[in-house]
Amino acid sequence: MKKIAFVFGVLLVALAVSTAAFAGEPENRLKAGIDKVIAILSDPAMKGPAKHLERQRRLRAVADGFFDWHELSRRALAESWRKYTPKQQEEFVTIFSELLQKTYVRKLEKFNNEKVEYVKEQVDGDQAFISTHVLMKDKTVPINYIMIKHDQWMVYDVVIEGVSLVKNYRTQFSKILSRETSDALLQRIKDKIKSLDEGKNVDDVVGK
Amino acid sequence: MRGWFASLLAAVALTVLCGGVALAADAAPDKSAAENAPTVKSIGGVLLAYGDEDIWDENGQVIKRPGVAQKMSVADTVAETPDPLEGWNRMWFGFNDKLYFWALKPVAQGYSTVIPERPRLWVHNFFHNLMYPVRFTSLILQAKFGAAAVETSRFIGNTAFGLGGLGDVTGDLKPYKPIPSTEQDLGLTFGYWGAGNGFYLVWPVLGPSTGRDTVGYVGDYFLTPTSYINPWYWSIAADGYDKINGVSLRIGDYETLKDASVDPYEAVRDAYLRMRFKKMND
Repeated sequence: MKKIAFVFGVLLVALAVSTAAFAGEPENRLKAGIDKVIAILSDPAMKGPAKHLERQRRLRAVADGFFDWHELSRRALAESWRKYTPKQQEEFVTIFSELLQKTYVRKLEKFNNEKVEYVKEQVDGDQAFISTHVLMKDKTVPINYIMIKHDQWMVYDVVIEGVSLVKNYRTQFSKILSRETSDALLQRIKDKIKSLDEGKNVDDVVGK
Repeated sequence: MRGWFASLLAAVALTVLCGGVALAADAAPDKSAAENAPTVKSIGGVLLAYGDEDIWDENGQVIKRPGVAQKMSVADTVAETPDPLEGWNRMWFGFNDKLYFWALKPVAQGYSTVIPERPRLWVHNFFHNLMYPVRFTSLILQAKFGAAAVETSRFIGNTAFGLGGLGDVTGDLKPYKPIPSTEQDLGLTFGYWGAGNGFYLVWPVLGPSTGRDTVGYVGDYFLTPTSYINPWYWSIAADGYDKINGVSLRIGDYETLKDASVDPYEAVRDAYLRMRFKKMND
């Protein structure tokens, strides 16, 4: 009887260990990326306004290594992606990722040691959907990452409280492209970056 | 004799009420099944259909089905809610934008330099606790009795042991079985019953809304305790203070969204419609 209990116990431990180590390749990679960001932001040598540029440079490098900007841009443009020549597509990816780097990646600076919980990982072929919770002071914010594997697992969409980054841009782009040319959209993004670079108060940043 | 009659009447009323609610509960699963059914359609002129077939929707529900191209999630069709008053809405969007940058934000910034974050969170808890009637009524109307009961115990706990709601003492307590989100209002309740958004609408001061949510606001107003403060200007002052306090806790969020978007109006519209849809299904 004791033996059975022992075997049962061993099985239980084995099961517990296997579920703990169950996180697959995509989740591990996402975790590595998020941990890198946290490491940069909590590094005492990286604190303070004097280190602002260095901090930004490092965050950008991490983001470039984990976001598939090409996939993200292609999906945001949806059907209109084909309206651009391959050269224009390349240019679009460059400036669109620049806009995201200058806004959302910069926003990471506000990160204040909030805890990240990895809730669920789903993998289907070369795509993965990872649900996380970020525990803020007054609420829990659900953030989901959608990843794709070309060479390695990269994030191509982030869903915050039900709002998909890619789809939010798709709405904007399709609205603009229904009224203006594809070149005009490119120019609009460039203008936006320029006005951000000029350090204009967000209040003045035009966006019709 | 009168008392006996009254209690009989009450019992009958209760039975009828429960019966109606049970029917509503039966109807609910049908609705969600209908929502999960593949819907691939494009309303209006905006092209949202795209070349890729998604495997998951925004919440990680598998929407891929063999043989059926799943190019849009239900949230995508909700995000296509028509915007017939676009010019009018854009005008009020611009107005609210200026209101934020010229009035709300400076006031909130000044307020947050004087009052540390901790007490501002207490104020946030207090107003959130005060809005309990809106959440309770909505949950009952959605036949989510478990969630309504949990919300009631939270309200009692926070009011009694959290200094009238200043402290969120029940925030870390988890119900023994999972309940749906208690963050509900009447607009979401109408949506839960199956009402569509109708059309997108931007209100001055209140911000983004829809035809359906506007009807909800009217009911919510009567369920909000601060609406009954006398005289009226103290009622407005209380709501205004709640608003400023809320803004002080989220300075920077709107700025980032506006900075990052190519068309801020469309970005906010899309985000509002999708967030509301998620809240409705949570």
